[in-house]
Amino acid sequence: MSHVLAICGRELRSLFATPTAYVLLAFYLIFAGFVFTGSLRIFLEQVEQVQAIPQYAQYLELFANLNLRVIAPALGTFILLFIFVIPFLTMRAFSEERANGTIELLLTSPVSTWQIVLGKYLAVLCWVGIFVLAAAAFSGMLFVYGNPELGWTVAGHLGIFLLGAALAAMGCFISSLTRSPIIAGVIALIAGLLLFMLNFLAGAIENPALAAPIRYLALENHVDKSLSGLIRLQDLVYFGVLIVLFLTLARTALESLRWR
Amino acid sequence: MIEVEGLSRRYGDVVAVSDVSFNVQRGEVVGFLGPNGAGKTTTMRMITGFLPPSQGQVAVAGHDLEAAPLDARRAVGYLPETPPLYPEMRVSDYVRYVAALKDVPRSERSEKVEKALEACALADVSRKVIGRLSKGYRQRVGLAQAIVHEPEVLVLDEPTAGLDPQQINEIRRLISDLAEEEGRTVILSTHILPEVENICKRVLLISGGRIRLDGPLDEVRGTGTLEEVFLREASVG
Repeated sequence: MSHVLAICGRELRSLFATPTAYVLLAFYLIFAGFVFTGSLRIFLEQVEQVQAIPQYAQYLELFANLNLRVIAPALGTFILLFIFVIPFLTMRAFSEERANGTIELLLTSPVSTWQIVLGKYLAVLCWVGIFVLAAAAFSGMLFVYGNPELGWTVAGHLGIFLLGAALAAMGCFISSLTRSPIIAGVIALIAGLLLFMLNFLAGAIENPALAAPIRYLALENHVDKSLSGLIRLQDLVYFGVLIVLFLTLARTALESLRWR
Repeated sequence: MIEVEGLSRRYGDVVAVSDVSFNVQRGEVVGFLGPNGAGKTTTMRMITGFLPPSQGQVAVAGHDLEAAPLDARRAVGYLPETPPLYPEMRVSDYVRYVAALKDVPRSERSEKVEKALEACALADVSRKVIGRLSKGYRQRVGLAQAIVHEPEVLVLDEPTAGLDPQQINEIRRLISDLAEEEGRTVILSTHILPEVENICKRVLLISGGRIRLDGPLDEVRGTGTLEEVFLREASVG
């Protein structure tokens, strides 16, 4: 465990020693701020419109739901945001170690390949956690001025955290395949977009027997239920399997370096 | 300390190392000589556990590399041909990180890091960022990470490459001290012949993936200067 933490700690410190971390965080916060204030403004305008019509008064409480009309749509936008941002966090994970030759240090240390993979992954996961916490700060402000449901809000954030965790595992694996961080980043981005677009593909397929499994694989189909406040076992399993699968593949890819 | 038995390594159809066997005793400094592409780096990578051999066994400090890989790797300090450095890290942070990887207990870490930095004459640049250091300094940082956990065995792949004569002298003195005063076993590769004559008591000459000569420096040199021996044997492979 101490090896995992040592590797993770080095990774985090190195990211903060370069401008990457700050640029990424600034970009993310600006974008998240736009998304949240944007959804909030639309929400307020619509509530005002409904309030102006006396016969709709009975529906107002139903309509003015912060979870449904602000937090869920804002977090929904984060799916695409994560697909773009997380490759920047994962692209260097292993490719840079290979390019620097530092992978030789790791592989000749009394550290198992699993510990290396987990240390790297944990560092990226910390980042995903920071991102989700930043989003939670925006949602948290709504609790000051309104009364969203806590459970629903937490479920939504858990959903995007799991999504981020799965994308991070995929990015780490892709990074283990090449010596070039740029290539690792671009491929991770494309892979994320493909997983995202599977829904459109499924929509274009008429045969339901073929469309269903493709729909199951699509990322956002496993986030949207948690955005509506429902944590399903099948979604947890989906993300769990993706994470374990990609980390195992990353480990295998590192092991295979020894055989070249 | 180092037992190598029938070691072979193939990359696809290319045989890089073929049936190499030798033993190194505690406190010995062995010079691993050979032309480029002779199999020096491949052999060293197998001793350090980076590459698994296609055939044969390696044991370091009594630990078989296949049966007890973590114990074996813990007993080795390794300076690869390119020092494995993180350019964005500070020197002392980096050496400390390696100490953690090599299982130096937390309570001893600061002391051992300081000792390694001192030994490699790095104390005055310990807060500098590695990427801004000159090549000679970087090579010494690489050496510091190899010795920080006080390993019984040191495997140094061209430790003096890129250093100026003054620095080469310092590194040589350091290696000699490590072997003579602390009883560490050193195997170092080089194609600079005077280096072998200065610090190694024993020479292993490898060419074409095979050991051509193995013996005390004086004995090997008996048939002429080391250079003559080198050129003669190297051309065989």
